[in-house]
Amino acid sequence: MFLRLTDSQTPSALRHVLLAIVLIVGCGGLPSRAQEVVDYQRQIKPIFAARCYACHGALKQNAKLRLDTAALAIQGGKHGQAIKPGDPVGSALLTRIIATDELDRMPPEGEPLKPAEIAAIRAWISQGAKGPAGEKPERDPQDHWAFKAPVRSAIPKVASAAWSKNPIDAFIAAEHAQRKLTPVPQTDRRLWLRRVSIDLIGLPPTREEMDTFVADQSDDAYDKVVSRLLGSPQYGERWGRHWMDIWRYSDWWGLGAEVRNSQKHIWHWRDWIVESLNADKPYDQMLREMLAADELYPNDMDRLRAGGFLARQYFKFNRTTWLDGAVEHTAKAMLGLTFNCAKCHDHKYDPISHVDYYQLRAFFEPYQVRTDVVDGELDPEKNGIPRGFDSNLKAETYLHLRGDDRNPDKSRAIAAAMPSFLSRETMQIVPVDLPVEAHQPGLRSFVIDTHLKLAEQRVTQAEQALAQAKKTLIEAERVAILAAQAKAKAELEMPKQAAAQATVDAVKKEAKTLLRDDFSVAKPDVWEMRGGNWAYAKGKLSQSQSGATRTAIRYKHAPPTDFEAKLKYIPTGGDMWKSIGIAFDVTEQGHMVTAYLSAYAGGPKSQITYKNNGADVYPPEAAQGRKVDLNKSYEITLRVRGTLMNVLIDGEQSLAYRLPIERKNGHLEISTFDAMAQLVAFELSELAEDVVLSDAASPTAKAKDGPLSVEEAKLMVALAQKALAVATLQSPSIKARAAAQRAQYQQPVPENLNALVAEAVRSERIAAAAQAEENAARAELELAKAVPAKRADAQKKFDASKVALEKSQQAIAAPGGTFTPLVGSLKMFESNLESEASRRAPFPTTSTGRRTALAAWITDVKNPLTARVAVNHIWSRHMGQPLVATVFDFGRKGALPTHPQLLDWLAVELIEQGWSMKHLHRLIVTSQTYRLSSSNLDAAPATRQADPDNHYYWRANPVRMEAQVVRDSLLLLAGELDLTQGGPSIPASSETSRRRSIYFVHSHNEHQKFLSMFDDANVLDCYRRTQSIVPQQALALANSALATSMAQKIAQRLTAANAALSDSDFSRAAFVTVLCAEPNDTEMHAMIQAMAKLSESARLNKRPDPLLHARTSLVHALLNHNDFITIR
Amino acid sequence: MPHPINPNYQSSPRGIHRRQFLSDVGMGFGGLALGAMLAQDGIVRADAPLLWQPPDGLPHFAPKAKSVIWLFMNGGVSQAESFDPKPELTKYAGKSISDTPHKDVQNPDKLKLARVTVINDANGQQRNKLYPLQVGFRKYGQSGIEMSDWVPHIGSCADDMAVIRSMYTTDDNHGAQTQFHSGRHMLDGEYPTLGAWVHYGLGSINDNLPQFISMGNREYWNAKDGHYLGPAHDAIPIRVDPKNPLDYGKSASGLTEDEQRIGFDLVGKLNSLKATEYPGDPALTARIKAYELAFRMQTSVPQTLNLSAESKGTHEMYGLDDPATRDFGMQMLAARRFVERGVRFIQVQHGAGGAGAWDAHGGLKENHTKNFKAVDKPIAGLLKDLKQRGLLDSTLVIFASEFGRTPGTQGSDGRDHHIYGFSVWMAGGGVQGGIVHGATDEIGFHAVENRHYVTDIHATILHQLGLDSRRLEVPGRKRLDIDHGKAIAEILT
Repeated sequence: MFLRLTDSQTPSALRHVLLAIVLIVGCGGLPSRAQEVVDYQRQIKPIFAARCYACHGALKQNAKLRLDTAALAIQGGKHGQAIKPGDPVGSALLTRIIATDELDRMPPEGEPLKPAEIAAIRAWISQGAKGPAGEKPERDPQDHWAFKAPVRSAIPKVASAAWSKNPIDAFIAAEHAQRKLTPVPQTDRRLWLRRVSIDLIGLPPTREEMDTFVADQSDDAYDKVVSRLLGSPQYGERWGRHWMDIWRYSDWWGLGAEVRNSQKHIWHWRDWIVESLNADKPYDQMLREMLAADELYPNDMDRLRAGGFLARQYFKFNRTTWLDGAVEHTAKAMLGLTFNCAKCHDHKYDPISHVDYYQLRAFFEPYQVRTDVVDGELDPEKNGIPRGFDSNLKAETYLHLRGDDRNPDKSRAIAAAMPSFLSRETMQIVPVDLPVEAHQPGLRSFVIDTHLKLAEQRVTQAEQALAQAKKTLIEAERVAILAAQAKAKAELEMPKQAAAQATVDAVKKEAKTLLRDDFSVAKPDVWEMRGGNWAYAKGKLSQSQSGATRTAIRYKHAPPTDFEAKLKYIPTGGDMWKSIGIAFDVTEQGHMVTAYLSAYAGGPKSQITYKNNGADVYPPEAAQGRKVDLNKSYEITLRVRGTLMNVLIDGEQSLAYRLPIERKNGHLEISTFDAMAQLVAFELSELAEDVVLSDAASPTAKAKDGPLSVEEAKLMVALAQKALAVATLQSPSIKARAAAQRAQYQQPVPENLNALVAEAVRSERIAAAAQAEENAARAELELAKAVPAKRADAQKKFDASKVALEKSQQAIAAPGGTFTPLVGSLKMFESNLESEASRRAPFPTTSTGRRTALAAWITDVKNPLTARVAVNHIWSRHMGQPLVATVFDFGRKGALPTHPQLLDWLAVELIEQGWSMKHLHRLIVTSQTYRLSSSNLDAAPATRQADPDNHYYWRANPVRMEAQVVRDSLLLLAGELDLTQGGPSIPASSETSRRRSIYFVHSHNEHQKFLSMFDDANVLDCYRRTQSIVPQQALALANSALATSMAQKIAQRLTAANAALSDSDFSRAAFVTVLCAEPNDTEMHAMIQAMAKLSESARLNKRPDPLLHARTSLVHALLNHNDFITIR
Repeated sequence: MPHPINPNYQSSPRGIHRRQFLSDVGMGFGGLALGAMLAQDGIVRADAPLLWQPPDGLPHFAPKAKSVIWLFMNGGVSQAESFDPKPELTKYAGKSISDTPHKDVQNPDKLKLARVTVINDANGQQRNKLYPLQVGFRKYGQSGIEMSDWVPHIGSCADDMAVIRSMYTTDDNHGAQTQFHSGRHMLDGEYPTLGAWVHYGLGSINDNLPQFISMGNREYWNAKDGHYLGPAHDAIPIRVDPKNPLDYGKSASGLTEDEQRIGFDLVGKLNSLKATEYPGDPALTARIKAYELAFRMQTSVPQTLNLSAESKGTHEMYGLDDPATRDFGMQMLAARRFVERGVRFIQVQHGAGGAGAWDAHGGLKENHTKNFKAVDKPIAGLLKDLKQRGLLDSTLVIFASEFGRTPGTQGSDGRDHHIYGFSVWMAGGGVQGGIVHGATDEIGFHAVENRHYVTDIHATILHQLGLDSRRLEVPGRKRLDIDHGKAIAEILT
């Protein structure tokens, strides 16, 4: 909760003010009788300040009247005296505040003053309207501290040597001396290490790091730690998350599949943040790139990722809502100003006018969002860099009367400009001529290369498909011959019925069967149970544990690479997903491919899934919705040849899929996920060579699963040949179109432009004709395969394809003049009204330069706010509280800095050190102030009394871990954390992922459940995290699979390190590992006692490994300790 | 050296207040968000005296109701075919409104109320051709309130109900669900919902159960309630399933209660020992308490949901014996059991799918027949059961949906969204029974008498709970007058 009292306080709030004052002062209150003496300072001035100053004070002097001193009020304005001392009835002020006509009544906005307030004012006037002698009016708003440039003050002289090494300490110590505060001693070395590790990289130290640091008695032991941490790639992730809070990072959200807010692939911006921080990219440079990389570095793909800041603001349904977000949060995050308060009227506290708001909006007015193609992927749905760019160069900005977007004041367009109180020089806005690749991104060399590479891949695939088709033809011919022979033989030897069977048998080669199991008896030499609750009963094998975890039985031998596996089973229950399947290539590194059938009520289906870089991928093309009932028998047949997979359900073709990842040598398992099941039978064989697998990528993907006739096989070959021809024509066409497209934008116009265009057009027509031939060949095949009932339809399609072919061939002769340019970027819909055609219009060749100018102004070293606001954010995240409490409001209504000279010194230091954030971190965490204990225990009573809330840093502030740190720390201590960096966001539902929490999908609609328990960032607005303490958090740490399984891993690790540990040794080791502190005797005693009880209860409950069970429980308890989740 | 900017600076005494608050009030489930308070430290101007404190958990004036059961029908209930029957619709069925004596309802001035937030929305249009009533209606109870034949059971409680027939809202898309709960449309941004305000304003009455509960699907409206009040004030989603009633409600590793008890005891013990090293650390104290509560909740929530403890007669009363009414009946019965145990605010959403099951753009008759069948008996069961147990006086029950439905037809047999006039009813909790408040015009188009915006419902509820919404306001989060609404004094006892 922060201060944003930018609109006038409501009377009710005022009532609180008065009430609170009464409470504090503990006397009097509002006069119940007129003769009680009214205290102007306590009772009257706060009313005027809250309700009147905005228009009658330093900011504005409507009717030339000021009410910010008693004397000025008496003096009056344009309409004469506002107050006549001793004469309330004759005082215009009183008349106006009690007026019943709303047009006359003051204040004009909000509720009227309360009767008690009016009574107090009346009494005060009666008593002579006295103010204190020498009462000073409000200061000129321009004099507000934050609107003047920071000045580096002299570093205070401090007597203590320990407190004078670091300038931060000198400022802090000076304040201690001034306020007679005595700082507490330094914290324990281990706790400092934990504090600084979590602060800088978001992870607690390992035991090794602890031991190394504790043993290191050298002078620079602390510095070494700081250098290590600042050099760690995890630093960028830790601080990246902080800045993502402030800059409102959010993955896209909307309704269903429709993007309404933010953008797909916005994670590129997240990666840019992380990488920029790791590289210590200057803060000002980061701001410039976020606001205007498209103008400053139009072809630098790495920097263009910063444009995610603009893309994040996207909102499909209302442009004003969209730009309001951009204006409000640019101002709050970068400038610490509440510009948003001036959307409907002049700002009540800061010199920001209603017009100023729209002047700021004008910087953003032309921008829209587009997604630029990245190397290797042309489909913006799959990947691409979302970013802002100036699209509508002529878009005008109008002031919205009273902030109502239906009511724009079209009498004058508003130009981009900053408010005059902050911009003493005229801002230079220079339009930018964009290089051709920026507005024709299809011409970026890597885009052309990607087109060509994909074309080559297509050729290769077409060649393979052709080879496959030829093989199929040979096979079909062979089968036909065999069948003919067998038939002839059978007709001689046996009756007709048997002949058919013999034909089939003759064709079917015997593939080697490796396993047949009907699960009637346990086969411990074949199967290893992994997790779950597997039991042999009634001649079957059952798995009876539900809940969202994976369980499996693993085939103990190496499976063949190409195989056929058949699983017959009965699904019997599960909480939700009810998935059962066959997994292969299962490795300890987490690689795995699974084909399964899910009885999930929300969408039962067959599905192929695989794990890539720890993330589970569920390709939509490898899923087939189908009815799956509980307590019914199913048979899954999985055929795998290389990367090609076919799944049959109950003998019927269901899925054909080619894995996009490499195969690995791994285990074969029958697995369940949140499913109870009875296994009925399983069969594993090598895949016979003559089994024809359908290929998802082949032109015959939909081919039926059975022998083809020779005629069909011949048509397939013909089709594959045509497809290869089409593929072969792609590259020349791409090259020709690229050349022509480039020439069209070249200056001066190249002489051969027309020839280039003609060639581009011709190449495209030729390719189109080849495509028409392929289509015709496909239609012919379909016709051949069609069952009699569908034949007429197929014939019609075939005829149509012939007509289309003829047309396309004619088009080669008369090609026209237009060709399809290469596309390298797709604009997002401006609104729900934009058409597909208009979003594909060419981009403007220039940009307005407005955002470059805005960025230059924000990052100008003379800007008084930018560095201060940044310093305050950084300080706050190290020290547990900011120097300016209102982190996004440095205006007149905001809080004053507790240490103004320190704030300014740090701001100037940041600027002069090239805006290096790492420099600032180092300065802060190597300070004496940062090393203080967070305990009150040794604090002087006078100090505690004088500054109970530690505004002056006489001790450290304990802070609760942010959500991400809680989860990441659990994983780290268990040795499970996957430190892979970057890439697409991981689905929020992926509870088994071991990646850092920053990589989860995080949007308004989707949250990782565990994280959301611990006050995860609100994507709409999160300048500071909340630190709630609620029982749900206790439940999450006590009961979640994450916490309990990590507790077990930690216990196992500690045991593995030394199996012969006594309870006492184990308890100590666990305590130090989890809490980074030595237990004292009473804590040891408590743990040893608990260990005894836990061991006893584990035995009573017949836990398989009672000692490990007890140890796990002990570790689990420590993970629930206050000082685990607290950064001391 | 004086403070360089503010010579009058003195440290505020709020730290003492905060600590005192912690130890005095204790923490309801999800109740006291220490973090919110710590963060609120930030709002204190260095130069200002103590201006503001978070609520102390006590009502601002004597309350009439202790608990609220908020029944919300997702999608929009047709007012004409439920609680505000309009025979004129049948009389002029098939006629364009402009061809009837009621053509003035489409006077553009009167339609200005609608705010267009979603351009080009296919729904939320005025439908001109009047659609006849799809169901009969009659007078119920001694009070003789007219209601449709789809609500015979609810109708039998007419003498306990105050029907407000003059509601209006401003947004005719389903974002109005959020509007009904927070006073602001979904596209306006995030604001705390009514339940969150209640939770924020009042302390706990039962330390073993969550104080703010949500059952059933939320369709269009945001799943989070607390917003700037903090996630501690979000409703806790509850499933009426004693085996798995809430997130993280049972040990994922299958620990027995005894085993857990040893662990929790150890945590408590170690935390208490830490408190000697860190005396006066409010977070530590709060966390010790949070763990105690969490442990108790693990058993108290499933216990409350153990509906088999209820008699057969009770089961029948709520329709648990009929598959058509069973699901909602279970939620209603659970709601009563929560109320009995002192839970403050229970919201039950009915109608999953799309923008809510009640969203009858087509096939209204079939749709509403089915939906009313599902809720009518359970809701009546709840009212009667509360009454017979003497709980109705202290429990305020509200029935609402985001808007009503058009007098005109959409397609051949549906009604579109309608914002200009619709109905809400309340019962119990100090609300008069057997009364109708406000009215729409003769075709149920505009609320014409005693008009009420959705936040007036909030104000009424808060009033009955003894809360003044203006006294709950958080500095820096100014609310508009319309957000506060005005209590509907005429329906109160």
